[in-house]
Amino acid sequence: MRSISLYVAKDSLIHKIDPITKLIYTSVSVISPFIMPTILVASIFVLANLVILALGKVLKKVIPIISFVVLIIVTIFLIQGMFYGGNQTELFTIFSLTFYLEGLTYALRIALRAINILLTFSILILTAKPSELIESMVRRGLSPKIGYVMHSVLQIIPIMSSKASTIMDAQKSRGMETEGNLWVRMKAFIPLIGPLVMNSLVDTHQRSLALEVRSFSAETKKTFLNEEELPAGMKYLRILFVMILIAVIVWRISL
Amino acid sequence: MINKNKGLWSFNFSTMALVLIPVSIGINYVGKLFAQTLKLPLWLDSIGTILAGILAGPWVGAISGAINNIIYGLTVSPVSFAYGITSVAIGIVAGLMARMGFLKNTKRAFIMGLAIVGVATVVSTPINIYFWGGQTGNIWGDALFGFLRSQNWPVWLASGLDEFVVDLPDKIATTLIAFGIYKGLPERITVLFDES
Repeated sequence: MRSISLYVAKDSLIHKIDPITKLIYTSVSVISPFIMPTILVASIFVLANLVILALGKVLKKVIPIISFVVLIIVTIFLIQGMFYGGNQTELFTIFSLTFYLEGLTYALRIALRAINILLTFSILILTAKPSELIESMVRRGLSPKIGYVMHSVLQIIPIMSSKASTIMDAQKSRGMETEGNLWVRMKAFIPLIGPLVMNSLVDTHQRSLALEVRSFSAETKKTFLNEEELPAGMKYLRILFVMILIAVIVWRISL
Repeated sequence: MINKNKGLWSFNFSTMALVLIPVSIGINYVGKLFAQTLKLPLWLDSIGTILAGILAGPWVGAISGAINNIIYGLTVSPVSFAYGITSVAIGIVAGLMARMGFLKNTKRAFIMGLAIVGVATVVSTPINIYFWGGQTGNIWGDALFGFLRSQNWPVWLASGLDEFVVDLPDKIATTLIAFGIYKGLPERITVLFDES
């Protein structure tokens, strides 16, 4: 069964950093270009993120994540370049379509900011194991019930996808059409999703009984299976990230 | 024990409701998977969130929407973090309108679908403007956006319409499918979530 997570287990410097420190970095890197909305700040963070991803040996894995938004970024340049509200300075004309400097600059700013967010989260997605991330959030005050729900999602999605392909095969063998015109394909949706929902809802009852038998809602302090180990120097790294954020804020205010 | 005065916003976080959340997120995922396999021009990726709202109320719908996008953001596609607010809104509206009696017949369910389209549009548009300068990433919607902008329509209106035309078929189909599934569920199952 394939997991939905894109996490890549590798032995690298970046993988050794604990999830909470990564979360702090993520927020600093995402928020900073919004506080200081210049092309320079966004570019610095984009570069920093690329370096971190390269150090984590996951640079190639970023391509599918980024390719998602390539199309929208191209159209942002087209639409804003031509129709941005503050357009004044004509830059060039192709096939009688005129592009303006202001619109293209605006598009560049949006695109850099979006790419920065994608790259930042890619660090988290590719180098932090989701189950460890959830566990360290529960340690820091996230409700264990919500923690359970999140863990459970990670486990249930592969199970449900394999159920989905079973149902698909079963209905096909009964003669359900999955190809043809739009109406035929629309009609096929119901006999696919129906049994799956029914099946899963029946399972929830069993699962909740199984949880209750193990005192899931007991009002006691929950303990952890694994002990948390914090690599040396993480404290300083966290302080450094927070200082960067403060520096960006001070820079903004002093303008 | 049946609670007679079930308020619109009443909160009931039983273990049943809790285990419903991962299942509803799984249903979202599989709905999208089936829609892709059948090459439907729709996403159909919030059936589970709407069902969670219908079965266990607005709060469970909201939490299911939030966790859905958080998990996606943490595992597959970071952009979905921002649209978490939209998912939360969809879950709340589905839960509220189900309790207000909009699941009596298909006509009312259609109105519920329209309401969900409206709320999703209102919530998503500022996010689209902030992140993408107003676009949605859907070719047809963005073509409309580009056309309206070239006619000097204001950004928020052009962007709102862009989102609206993209959401209209998708969210109405999603709501009607969720409604159909709900109607088909045996009472033995729905009652479990009602008052546990």
